[in-house]
Amino acid sequence: MPRIGVFVCWCGSNIGGVLDCPQLAREAASFPGVVYSVDYKYMCSEPGQNLIIEAIKEHRLDRVVVASCSPRLHEETFRKALARAGLNPYLLEMANLREHCSWVHAKEPEKAQVKAVDLVRRAVAKAALLQPLVSSQIPVTKRCLVIGGGIAGIQCALDIADAGHEVILVEREPTIGGNMVKLDKTFPTLDCSACISTPKMVAVASHPNIKLYTYAEVAEIGGYIGNFKVKIKQKARYVDHDKCTGCGTCWEKCPSKVPDDFNGGLGTRKAIYIPFPQAVPNKPVIDANHCRVFNNKKCRVCEKLCPTGAIDYEQQDTFIDEEVGAIVVATGYELFDWTKAYGEYGYGMYPDVITGLQFERLVNAAGPTGGKIKRPSDGKEPKTVVFVKCVGSRDEAKGKSYCSRVCCMYTAKHAHQLLEKVPDSQAYIFYMDVRTPGKGYEEFYQRTVQDGAIYVRGRVSKIYQSGDKLVVRGADTLLGRPVEVKADMVVLATAMQPAAGVETTARLVGAPVDQDGFIQEAHPKLRPVETHTAGVYVAGCCQGPKDIPDTVAQASGAAAKVVGLLSHSKMSTSAMISTVNEALCTGCMLCEPVCPYKAIEPKVITERLPGQPPRERTVAAVNSGLCQGCGCCNVACRPGAIQVKGFTNEQMLAEVDAICL
Amino acid sequence: MPVTNEKDWEPKIVAFFCNWCSYAGADLAGVSRMSYPPNIRIIRVPCSSRVHPRFILRAFERGADGVLVSG
Ligand SMILES: Cc1cc2nc3c(=O)[nH]c(=O)nc-3n(C[C@H](O)[C@H](O)[C@H](O)COP(=O)(O)OP(=O)(O)OC[C@H]3O[C@@H](n4cnc5c(N)ncnc54)[C@H](O)[C@@H]3O)c2cc1C
Repeated sequence: MPRIGVFVCWCGSNIGGVLDCPQLAREAASFPGVVYSVDYKYMCSEPGQNLIIEAIKEHRLDRVVVASCSPRLHEETFRKALARAGLNPYLLEMANLREHCSWVHAKEPEKAQVKAVDLVRRAVAKAALLQPLVSSQIPVTKRCLVIGGGIAGIQCALDIADAGHEVILVEREPTIGGNMVKLDKTFPTLDCSACISTPKMVAVASHPNIKLYTYAEVAEIGGYIGNFKVKIKQKARYVDHDKCTGCGTCWEKCPSKVPDDFNGGLGTRKAIYIPFPQAVPNKPVIDANHCRVFNNKKCRVCEKLCPTGAIDYEQQDTFIDEEVGAIVVATGYELFDWTKAYGEYGYGMYPDVITGLQFERLVNAAGPTGGKIKRPSDGKEPKTVVFVKCVGSRDEAKGKSYCSRVCCMYTAKHAHQLLEKVPDSQAYIFYMDVRTPGKGYEEFYQRTVQDGAIYVRGRVSKIYQSGDKLVVRGADTLLGRPVEVKADMVVLATAMQPAAGVETTARLVGAPVDQDGFIQEAHPKLRPVETHTAGVYVAGCCQGPKDIPDTVAQASGAAAKVVGLLSHSKMSTSAMISTVNEALCTGCMLCEPVCPYKAIEPKVITERLPGQPPRERTVAAVNSGLCQGCGCCNVACRPGAIQVKGFTNEQMLAEVDAICL
Repeated sequence: MPVTNEKDWEPKIVAFFCNWCSYAGADLAGVSRMSYPPNIRIIRVPCSSRVHPRFILRAFERGADGVLVSG
């Protein structure tokens, strides 16, 4: 007979305020196998854990039930406590009294109490059948894949590489740098974005531990933590980068002009191009959609003029295989396409209604106007500019329900830049709220107000062209009256959303996305840089909108996690995986095709039965590195030979019986 | 439809929730302080594919009025 101890946690008033914990502990004492039960304010605290450890020793407990919060939060904590008491950590079972009972049934405490008793009874029934488990060891490939070369990916790659591990950085654009290099100055200190980001880009390219793939994408990922196999697709650049010196003759002479996406479409670039002068690598690619050669026209100018013969119109996409132990997703953001949703702002019909990112290019000395603020329609300097915040953010009807977090600050920055650069200019800012949580942020906003920016609290209901002016109509909800501004230009602070293709990346790495499409972190507070897939981490705006300081902090956080993983040459696998009872296995191999992880293979064993000659027989074998313990095989197995450790048929049926009592 | 005339009859629902999605979802419901009727008892499984038809039959045998498998 097992000796089970039941430990009921109050979690302060979280559980204790709804459920009668002492009564629960008394009731638990009557369940089969329970030899000790007790309640305590905070079981996860040090005194709480010590209480468990002492009770294990004093009452010679060999199974432990902790009735507290979700096992997804504290199973590890309590398993460690068991190990410290000298018990196998898998002899623990938890009852989820908080998330699944007291928090959701706070209004019906009596019924919640009845349910809580059932939940504890279930846990006790399972605990009685728990078996000690051990995990096995698998090797760790000491190399990390970082997907996305924005500031998040750059910082993360540098930190991991500096710690002495190899990094493979994959960026789909022809250059690394992401959105940050498009910015002019950065709030709240107004340091020049290029000056602080381009040195990091160079550091990436020259780091001996970093292998950089630009204009490349991840095509396939297989394997598991410590042992991922990655296939990278190097898109054809039609320029041999080994030969190219980046001299620039080709893009100077190329006759095809294309709207320049790096400049938000405000200028043009050539069909053979580098996105911007400080691009890393500083070598061009040919945009086949716009190159004359690929559109069956005569040209080949670049090929003729290239002094090193680097142009190669025949180049093909190539695939490279890499092995890594960890993966960081840092694919960043893009701006919500307001032109499809906001008819009242002209659906993108008016050239002088632009986005914040376009404004960044207009004030940027390296931008299409050389840093002079000129409006797109006629190149005139705009005197009156209206800034509209929350376009697509906090607007469930047309855009996203969330706040994009950076717009209040960059709008203050833009207003400040306008007032500084354009004499006699006026900045009107329509806002719902001004949110400035961050070091030096509120002070920065106040300065912009002192600069003379006019903040109008209210939404803009209409923008239309009248002559060479844009009429902006809105409401001032503080004064309770309509407002109309005749503006020369309008800048929309549009919502940040995950970069296109995030679902594909999420599927490749096996990490879920949240309701807004951002990569879901494993826990919103306690595991902010991990995902639900072991060995896969997340950094930057692909996890949610954030500014550069937060992005960099998160990237370094993810790097620390990766370095922690890669600092071991072996790691333990989950102990709760499938195991085959070879004596029962008939070798039907029905389990093999159902396994989503390809973890089951046939194996031939030699069987020696007394009084019979030895004979060979096929049975199923589980690869402990690949098995994730889902239990598909367990269900498919007709003789019941394969069982998931920790979720065996016997254990599960006992749970069902106990919970239905 | 309950096979009883009792007015205050309440069904007993046994739920098998996948640890990685619906179980986490039920956790999130708690964290978000949503509320739902306390008739449901959740059993954690490592994946909805772990739910053997036998578990469902057994729940009905033992008096469950409904079984919810989610994953
Ligand atoms: C108008 C505007 C002004 C701003 N001003 C400031 C400011 O002044 N101060 C401040 O702190 N913050 C500012 N921000 C916020 C800042 O831009 C972000 O915090 C920062 O750029 C986020 O970096 P990231 O690396 O997460 O994402 P990104 O910069 O978006 O980088 C992601 C990278 O991943 C690549 N990528 C995407 N998908 C894939 C894929 N599938 N495979 C390979 N590569 C991929 C992209 O090409 C890109 O290079 C501003 C934002 C906007 C919109």
